[in-house]
Amino acid sequence: MSMILYHGEPNGPSLAVLAALGESGLTVECRHIDLVGGERHRLPGVREALARDMGVEGEGPVLLADGEAMTESVFIAQFLDESGAGTLQPKDAYAHWQMLMWCRRITERCAPAAAFLGCKATAHAALAKLDQAAFDALAQTIASEDLRGRWTAVRAGDFPEAQTADSVTKVSDAVAMVDEQLADGREWLMGDLTIADFETYGWLVGMAALLPDAFAGKARAAAWMERVRARPSVQAALARAVTSNPEANWAPGPEINRWG
Amino acid sequence: MAEVTLYHWEPNANSGKPMLALMEKGVKFSSHYIDMLNFDQHKPEYLAINPQGTIPAMTHGSRVLVESTAIMEYVNEEFDGPALMPADAQARWRIRWWMKFMDQWLAPSFSMFGWKFFVGPNALAAHGQDKIEEQISRIPLPERQLAWRKAVFGLFSEAEMAESGRRIGVGIQMLEDELGKREWLGSDEYSLADVNGFNLAYAMPLSQPHLANDELTPNIMRWLRAIYRRPATRECWKLGRTPMASRVEILEQDYIPPRDESEGIASGVR
Repeated sequence: MSMILYHGEPNGPSLAVLAALGESGLTVECRHIDLVGGERHRLPGVREALARDMGVEGEGPVLLADGEAMTESVFIAQFLDESGAGTLQPKDAYAHWQMLMWCRRITERCAPAAAFLGCKATAHAALAKLDQAAFDALAQTIASEDLRGRWTAVRAGDFPEAQTADSVTKVSDAVAMVDEQLADGREWLMGDLTIADFETYGWLVGMAALLPDAFAGKARAAAWMERVRARPSVQAALARAVTSNPEANWAPGPEINRWG
Repeated sequence: MAEVTLYHWEPNANSGKPMLALMEKGVKFSSHYIDMLNFDQHKPEYLAINPQGTIPAMTHGSRVLVESTAIMEYVNEEFDGPALMPADAQARWRIRWWMKFMDQWLAPSFSMFGWKFFVGPNALAAHGQDKIEEQISRIPLPERQLAWRKAVFGLFSEAEMAESGRRIGVGIQMLEDELGKREWLGSDEYSLADVNGFNLAYAMPLSQPHLANDELTPNIMRWLRAIYRRPATRECWKLGRTPMASRVEILEQDYIPPRDESEGIASGVR
């Protein structure tokens, strides 16, 4: 199978998938793309573009496998794990359910909030700098109407106060959830190292600088973040950075739940 | 072997997913019907099992499982019986992708239309506004109260309804295109994605007859009828107690022509 992993700066879902790739033992060509420059929507050789265009995750990494654009970081990580070393998912069905539920709490609640706050802090300025014609040309390549709407909102600086406050709460809740999960002294979130550690770390690591209060007094979460960061797979992912602070790179992510 | 109990509402949407998955696997389970429109899910005896008050929930021995798609994955992995995930890793990825897309992007839009035109009006007719208001006021979380009020009384903005309508149109076309590629959704083998998708889509030819019919979406119709013919599907839909579940009988028709959108809306109000 021919595979190329297109990833952004090692942050968020790109970091999670790069780390999972490192743990899988697979050799896959990795190509860096500028997510906030819209490069994800102009990849060569995509025969099956559905997932690239319509994925819930927004501007996450794309694994191009035999012409099919595979998206959603948790599912790419599962695919890599199942194609490779197979060490990142519990074998027991109940423990696996617990890992999937954890990942859903992160992708459904924490990820939209982190992407919202991250875009507010960094992507807004990058997109606001573009002139209208350049932005229109970029937006035209985004097939999903609602994802295009999120890009437009980020460029316009449309960050309603209520959503900002709610996002701070959701990220803070995720940090507290991590800290609580580690209360029994376990090393990793599910006991053994799993996809949940990388997915959670990817979305939270860039929040530490933006929301220091959310991390204050959370010693177990802080120590866990250091352990994740020290993994050779994460170090290898971080070595792919082209900016000095990859954690400050954001692009439009999942939408905030329409039902509130 | 530890007992399995499933707490569910109608074979429809989220409740129907683990019901049908258990039946496809041939797992014996105790069926515990939760009357959602009577707010059984907020009563103390149910909250003792699932404090979140969401349905469905499943117990397996001392284990309590929630979230319909995740429960299905557990059922598939834990029990013997036919595999509901294929061996090919890329097909498994595709199945997971479609389930997330349906659960998070498409189903909430169907749900908004369903509550506005079918479930909400029927609940009001059956229970009356005062009783429903009283039941909602007992829900502990204020934001859940708000969501329930919005759903039962159809308080969605025009913009919200328009966006949901757009997504339903886009999503039905995506399903049609995808089902033109393989026999089943995302895979050559019957899987959890089909169980999930059928629960979302079985009534489309009735409720969205202008978008889903034998002229416009032949692949969707072929797929729905193939799932409807499966013995597990027949058994599962027998557990329905309201006219909602009996909508599945439309799939007995060999040919469903396009009809006006207004006929779809009228089809649900009893």
